[in-house]
Amino acid sequence: MIPLVFGITIVLFAVIQAAPGGPEGALLETGRFIDPEVIEAYRERLGVDQPVPIQYVRWIGGAMRGDLGISFSTTRPVSEMIIERLPATLELMGASFLLAALLAFALGTLSAVKQYSWFDHLGTGFSFVGIAMPVFWFALILQLVFGVWLQWLPVAGTQTVGATSVTDHVLHLVLPTVVLSLRYVAGWSRYLRSSLLVALRTDYVRTARAKGLSEVAVVCVHAARNALIPVVSVMALNLAGLFSGAVITETIFAWPGIGRMFVQAMFARDYPLLMGILLLGSVMVVFFNLVADIAYGILDPRIRYE
Amino acid sequence: MLAIAVGACSSGSEGGAPRGRSGADDPDRPKILRVAYTREIDVLNALTSQNLVDIQFSMVEGLVTTNENNDYIPVLAKQIPTEDNELIVVNDDGTVTMTWPLQEGVRWHDGEAFTAEDVCFTWRFVSSAGSQVYNRNQYLGIVACETPDEHTVEFTWTSVLGYYAGLFEAILPEHVLGGMSTEEIITYVPYNRGDALVGTGAFRFAEWRSGEYIRVVRNDDYWRGPEYPAIDEIVWSFIPDSNTRLNSLKAGQHHFGQIEPTQVEEMAAVDGYGVHLVSQNSFMHFDLSLNTAHARLLFGERDVRQALFHAIDRPAIADLLMQGTVTVADSPLHPSSPYHNEAAPSVAFDPELANRMLDEAGWRRGSDGIRVLDGERFTFKMLNRAGTADRIAVAQVIQAQLKDVGVEATFETLESAAWTQRWRSGEWEALVSAWFLPADPAITGLYACGGPNNMTGFCDRELDELMVRSDGFLDFDRRKQALDEAQVSLAASARSLPIYYNVVPEVVSTEVGNYRGSGTNFGSFWNLWQWTLGS
Repeated sequence: MIPLVFGITIVLFAVIQAAPGGPEGALLETGRFIDPEVIEAYRERLGVDQPVPIQYVRWIGGAMRGDLGISFSTTRPVSEMIIERLPATLELMGASFLLAALLAFALGTLSAVKQYSWFDHLGTGFSFVGIAMPVFWFALILQLVFGVWLQWLPVAGTQTVGATSVTDHVLHLVLPTVVLSLRYVAGWSRYLRSSLLVALRTDYVRTARAKGLSEVAVVCVHAARNALIPVVSVMALNLAGLFSGAVITETIFAWPGIGRMFVQAMFARDYPLLMGILLLGSVMVVFFNLVADIAYGILDPRIRYE
Repeated sequence: MLAIAVGACSSGSEGGAPRGRSGADDPDRPKILRVAYTREIDVLNALTSQNLVDIQFSMVEGLVTTNENNDYIPVLAKQIPTEDNELIVVNDDGTVTMTWPLQEGVRWHDGEAFTAEDVCFTWRFVSSAGSQVYNRNQYLGIVACETPDEHTVEFTWTSVLGYYAGLFEAILPEHVLGGMSTEEIITYVPYNRGDALVGTGAFRFAEWRSGEYIRVVRNDDYWRGPEYPAIDEIVWSFIPDSNTRLNSLKAGQHHFGQIEPTQVEEMAAVDGYGVHLVSQNSFMHFDLSLNTAHARLLFGERDVRQALFHAIDRPAIADLLMQGTVTVADSPLHPSSPYHNEAAPSVAFDPELANRMLDEAGWRRGSDGIRVLDGERFTFKMLNRAGTADRIAVAQVIQAQLKDVGVEATFETLESAAWTQRWRSGEWEALVSAWFLPADPAITGLYACGGPNNMTGFCDRELDELMVRSDGFLDFDRRKQALDEAQVSLAASARSLPIYYNVVPEVVSTEVGNYRGSGTNFGSFWNLWQWTLGS
């Protein structure tokens, strides 16, 4: 795992630096005249006037000691900024994952059990719409309906300033969670339906039915457990996707997570902050793959790792 | 400043101002102003921040600010020095002595007295190497800062700088930052983040929740008097998406927010808010370059450039594309500036004339309708900055209109940082861009030969002489005359076509009083100490 992450950092650093433009672009963003000497002094202070390999060696040296560097734009330690924002992203990811998993399981199972019924057709239609619908458009529609017209839910942020109640926070969480989970509900329910349809036609399921087990036990205990193996694999990989998907959702809902910070860092060419966030993303991808492997073993005892 | 109320209606109905949350109607509840701000800022040091510094100016003050009329007005200075009030004296050796009398009885938020030493400290920081202050070079003419007494600052300038009034927009506290190196001040997190930030402004720093908001609270010891400010608290929520800002305003969650010109009509229909079109000291323009051999071939002749400009219908861009929210520009200097020259030549939309001029220049239409000269097609690339919808839309109109006169413009769109790098390298042929000018305009850096922000490759010694001359006058009439001539000369050279003066629509709740929108780099919050909140 460590060599893999190490390799990833080299690729990421090279890709980030290959993008044209540098952090000095931020100095001209407001459209004010600027002294070119200020630009050169800025680049020198940040160390971006040095060759890329030297910059990398400096960065990885620090990273190995747990120092991810200082953000170019905020002058704060990157690790501190990430730690500050991580809970909001994890909360949004967790809530979306749970909601998506619950709905996908219910939809996928019912669609498979009632194949070609009106419910199944409705589920298929929902999936296509859910996968095809642009996230930002869906988010704005929800804001308009539930925030502006009905005034049931807040449009942006995590908490009304001054309010400390859990209810207030949960209300802020609803819209971004629904938006972020939609695509995954649609996708995962389709995977589960297909997988479950195959499982329901296998010999062991027929045997279970012949033994006189109830339909619920047959579907939920015997068939679903096997059917979940490919779905879990997709879900684990999608967890990292949830992390990147949060970029748009967090920006639209002004959710103070890592995703929004990443967008700002990208436009500001804040290399240390970008590297810190991408490193975290890489570790998460590797970690969730490990989680998927462990989950296989739990779902199917025949799968064992040495 | 042009602040046109597009819509302001009664409160209390659906979509109104923050409902029951501002405390405006309940004398016992704090009056909280909620602002939907366009972005999260980088640092709270107003001099080293690379963003616009509205939030900082609620806490930090400078010697001057600008009002809604684009005029400099004193803040921590008692008055702005001029030759007339004898606070500026040109010495026999050509140096200039400039005296700034300061307000008395001003205290920093931690109770320390504000003195002339703080001003000198700020000057030493800004002019130090590597200070990262965007207009540092404008301070370099000051060679000495003296403090005859606690409330008087005396600068010695090597020579006259005509736009001196725009400097010292923020003053740093010496008792907090003194003794640190330039690098240490730039990277001093407690000040940048707010914990150690002290200003002299109407509000004090209270809280910065990363990614969410900055909260400032009333400064009970404000030097203008105990009745100021009238608001107890301001919450600056960071909402970068313009659609979300619009929705949050429509949902009544904020008192103030900036929206896009295309959203004006929708917001104007919402009760409880007024939409103010604040004309900015910023102008959209179409620049041509002479940096590459191909660009020199196309744009080397003045008449050819002029012909291209005649092919562009600026009134249509202003009235149709920008839905009448902006006004056509003929000069970089805003009409509200006393230095604006009404007589600067305007380029009329005349495609017939454009065709004739191009024909006369030898550019004849080829078989595909695009003009050709000596085997070279009249085709060039326009550099677009991704994410700037207004600029790209203007570029598309220009592209279509140039095609009508047989000129082909293709696009190359780059993301912001990449665009800036390309612009600085000079490796481009044409672009649509915008500059933000200070209230006292100095355009030398933008148009002078080798000027720090002149990336076009154009060089006109005659224009240079006019601009440099204008920078060296303290007398208004003489400075205006030089700038008037410079604006005419600039228009005559047909190197850059001003298109329109930018407008920022600001949505303000009808609960807010004393809002006076300003389009300078000081922004519309310049008089926050006067704002009120109540129905």
